Amino acid sequence: MTGKKLLLRALKDKGVKYVFGYTGGAIMPVFDEMDKLGGFNFVMSRHEQGAAFMSQGLSRASRSNKVPQIGVCMSTSGPGAMNLVTGVADAYMDSVPILAVTGQVATGVIATDAFQESDVVGVMMPISKQTYMPLDASDVESTVHEAIYVATTGRGGPVVLDIPKDVQNQQVPDEYRFDAESYRPALPGFFYHPTPAREPLQQAVDLINRSERPVMFCGHGVINSNAGKLLLQFAEKVNIPIASTMHGLSAIPADHPLHLGMMGMHGTVEANRAIMEADLLISFGMRFDDRVTGKLNEYAQNADVIHVEIDASEINKNVGTTVAINADVYRTLHVLAGDPMLTYKPRRRWLDKIEGYRQVMAEDLRQEIETGVGADGKLLMKAIVSRLSDLTEGKDLIVPDVGQHQMMASRFYNFQTENSWFSSGGAGTMGASLPMAIGVKLARPDERVWSISGDGGFQMNAQELGTIMEQQLDVKILILNNGYLGMVRQWQTLFFDGRYAGTPMQSPDFGLIAKAYGLPYRKVEKLEDVKPALQQAIDHQGAIVLEFICDPGEVILPMIPAGGGFDDMIVKHPGQEPAENAVEEGGQS
Amino acid sequence: MKRRAILAFMLNRPGVLNKVSMLIRKKMYNVDTLTVCSACKPGISRMTITLKEDDDAKVQQVIRQLEKFTEVVSVKELDTDHSYWREVAVVKMEVPAKHLEGFHGRYNFEVLEQKSADIHILQVAGSTRRIDAFLEEVGQEHIIEIARTGVTALEK
Ligand SMILES: Cc1ncc(C[n+]2csc(CCOP(=O)(O)OP(=O)(O)O)c2C)c(N)n1
Ligand SMILES: [Mg+2]
Repeated sequence: MTGKKLLLRALKDKGVKYVFGYTGGAIMPVFDEMDKLGGFNFVMSRHEQGAAFMSQGLSRASRSNKVPQIGVCMSTSGPGAMNLVTGVADAYMDSVPILAVTGQVATGVIATDAFQESDVVGVMMPISKQTYMPLDASDVESTVHEAIYVATTGRGGPVVLDIPKDVQNQQVPDEYRFDAESYRPALPGFFYHPTPAREPLQQAVDLINRSERPVMFCGHGVINSNAGKLLLQFAEKVNIPIASTMHGLSAIPADHPLHLGMMGMHGTVEANRAIMEADLLISFGMRFDDRVTGKLNEYAQNADVIHVEIDASEINKNVGTTVAINADVYRTLHVLAGDPMLTYKPRRRWLDKIEGYRQVMAEDLRQEIETGVGADGKLLMKAIVSRLSDLTEGKDLIVPDVGQHQMMASRFYNFQTENSWFSSGGAGTMGASLPMAIGVKLARPDERVWSISGDGGFQMNAQELGTIMEQQLDVKILILNNGYLGMVRQWQTLFFDGRYAGTPMQSPDFGLIAKAYGLPYRKVEKLEDVKPALQQAIDHQGAIVLEFICDPGEVILPMIPAGGGFDDMIVKHPGQEPAENAVEEGGQS
Repeated sequence: MKRRAILAFMLNRPGVLNKVSMLIRKKMYNVDTLTVCSACKPGISRMTITLKEDDDAKVQQVIRQLEKFTEVVSVKELDTDHSYWREVAVVKMEVPAKHLEGFHGRYNFEVLEQKSADIHILQVAGSTRRIDAFLEEVGQEHIIEIARTGVTALEK
């Protein structure tokens, strides 16, 4: 037995079926062995960053499968490993378990600046949950098991395994034994508390019963623990409205009467106003990120906070907690939803008030969606997304990129399927969508997958069209082309006097690009063609590229400027006028 | 600002120290001293971190962040009433032997070497404040070089 064989045996034992990656000198032995051994579906990305996002897609989308899988990406040392960095950092920000396996130069030359040597452990350490470099083949198998355990236990995250080439090839002694069944990692301090303690639960129930104006928060933890249905059950039982973080979207049906939609920077008026006026926030599996809270010292000043969170270090980090429940969201909801002391309240005044907020923008938005085009006759992104939502009845899997189109998708797709929204959030990495959609499709082959990118982000990982071609994957690819790095342009419109520095962008002929990869393509410029084109994509068996020519002037509203408070919320398009409340510091788009 | 001490036990694995120092930099904690040694249990290291911080929530954050490392076995804050915080200073001084004599008995120091009539190498042990007081009293102007270990702490 050799290190490489033990690596692959451990991956098999942990149920790994897909390996995304790209070969090179320092990982060749593993690839060679994988080929000889069989039993893995190897998916070659066209750039290692693509492989990292594919593995994320597989992990994220299979969360809700009967048997969740961990995404595995593999690369060679040096440049190969460095190309994984963005995807690993992104997984860390979004708590996505993935295993990144990198080849390393042989132990004999480590630290000599050998050809293609990079300090992978050093680089990855601050952006991953754990890093390993086994120095003996006998350690490889247990390390893989520990790595996957660490990645998937408690709050998920990426783990990096850097294996020197000689260790891959090294023979283990004859007496080497390893029993995957009975193996338990020896990590005395690595524990998490899945079960909620009784006392804070009781305090929570008291607070909930006493509260007049409560709001519930649905975060990523609800998705990750498959607790959407429980959350809804609980919310209905106590009649409390729910606001979602971006990562919490799709946990519950978006159009449920108690759902206020997304909160935060581009959240709905009703979600943000309700939070401002709430006397109690009951937050499930989220971390009060600055995109959610805006200016902290103005945030929900009159509210008590119940914070249910698996990662203890998130509690009291940004927002002070009244009741801290350091536990798994599903288990907590399970106990809460069954608590006999909870009382239903009609909350007529509170819900009526929120209904009023719902109406602030509703009519404008309805009209914009119906008109479907901007002042210059070009398509509005919200109109495209909302037609896609209608045609698919909100049931499909949506993988947006990063930018205005992402926010449009988050706001105007009517999510009906639990865990159907896969988006780079914490890092906001442009180019994530196309490769992530590949992993999503492999995890959920029977569902329809839409990759929705801007013209900018699409070109950041467009090379993965090669993977889609080779693997013959049925991913519907939408490019919402507004000729700009739209989200940055929006900030320029609002806060930089309309100076568009570094945002106009000339794009290639996307039709020719699609053709080069053997994919059908259609360009859509008129509103009446939007639905037929989307229908064509639905009817077509296999991948297809649709390009929509969009209005660069469309802005995503409301918007709370970075570093601003909820009172600074912009709800009306200011035209080219700079906004009065421009807050320039404290954020990047 | 208040001085706080955090005691952590962790698996003696490669990179742990690196992780802790990276955390300190990343979160911009105001760390004064950091000392590491082996614990009595094999394979376990013992780390004492002192930092200046008035905000309890911030100290809690440090502890929570440390607890998150898979290698970390336990972390807690130690307060001065229930623990000993001690350090050692090794000092090279230019000072007449006579002048030093007056401090015997009052301070816990030992002359490791007398290099010449006026040059002494001393070792002083005690709390940070005690060592500071000793140096102050002897006179900072006499010091040629000083090495301090940083604080290590033990619960009563
Ligand atoms: C890798 C990366 N670089 C830069 C940014 C900053 N950024 C955020 S959104 C955006 C514009 C995206 O433009 P496009 O892909 O065309 O989408 P649109 O906003 O126009 O819908 C930029 C540059 C980022 N998020 N990620
Ligand atoms: Mg664009």
